[in-house]
Amino acid sequence: MTGISFIGVGLAIGLAALGSALGQGNASARAMEGIARQPEASGEIRTSLLLALAFMEALTLFSFVIAILMWTKIG
Amino acid sequence: MEEKLAELAHIMEHLRPHTVLYIGNIPISSTVVTTWMVMAILTIAVFLATRNLSSKPRGVQHLLEMLIGFIEGLLEDAMDKEGRKYLPLIATLFLFILSLNLSWFIPTVKPPTIDISTTAAFGVTTVVVIQIFAIQKKGVGGYLHHFTEPTIALAPLTIIEEFVKPVSLSLRLFGNMFGEKMVVTILFMLLPLVVPTPVMLLGVLMGFIQAFVFTLLPITYLQTFIKGH
Repeated sequence: MTGISFIGVGLAIGLAALGSALGQGNASARAMEGIARQPEASGEIRTSLLLALAFMEALTLFSFVIAILMWTKIG
Repeated sequence: MEEKLAELAHIMEHLRPHTVLYIGNIPISSTVVTTWMVMAILTIAVFLATRNLSSKPRGVQHLLEMLIGFIEGLLEDAMDKEGRKYLPLIATLFLFILSLNLSWFIPTVKPPTIDISTTAAFGVTTVVVIQIFAIQKKGVGGYLHHFTEPTIALAPLTIIEEFVKPVSLSLRLFGNMFGEKMVVTILFMLLPLVVPTPVMLLGVLMGFIQAFVFTLLPITYLQTFIKGH
């Protein structure tokens, strides 16, 4: 039974990481495109990119915290 | 390999704050001790650096001025001249969180930001101070009006948003630093010395980025209150 629980914990963080990796990759690619096209706007693009990445990452981190909570319950 | 894997089961003991001393019956955790230590070091360092200010900045003064100038630039981009009023709060947040994150590299010290109590305190105080600034700026009526901004139908959502802000702020900082520390600790148990070093180097970068994000988000929160949507 505990084996299956561990799979659940792994899946929780793995799927969350997959989603936010796709989102962050897409956002970074577009930001780099933007910088390549308009190098003078790089400062502004970088700031808003970091902000956007932070919001995306938060979703994974919620899942990470939930995974830790689940993991400590398994014992 | 077997005993290494067995050791992994006790990884949480390396990550949880431990009790250092008791004052009466109250346990004082390592988080509190480290935070006060970093506070003392930071205060003394900044005091020493700003004792002999010169109009031609050199060395540490130049570094500090660059840093403050950078944050001032961020605030002015967001809120024009008015943003300068909030510089003390935002710059302190940045410097303090950065030094807490980097306290990781003092041997045997657990960085306080891997304890959720520290980050929760940061998140809650920051958001409460932002509400106070908003009330100061707009008055109670204007502040309450902000919640009905696009339409009154969305008021429940905007109020819930206000309560989610400290949660997401604190979980973001906690999750990032805890995750980084956990990865390094696991790598350190399995393959000591060579493999964890580059990952630790990534930890320096992560410390900077997280401190930066924690200053950027309060700025945008303030911006929505001060300048409207």
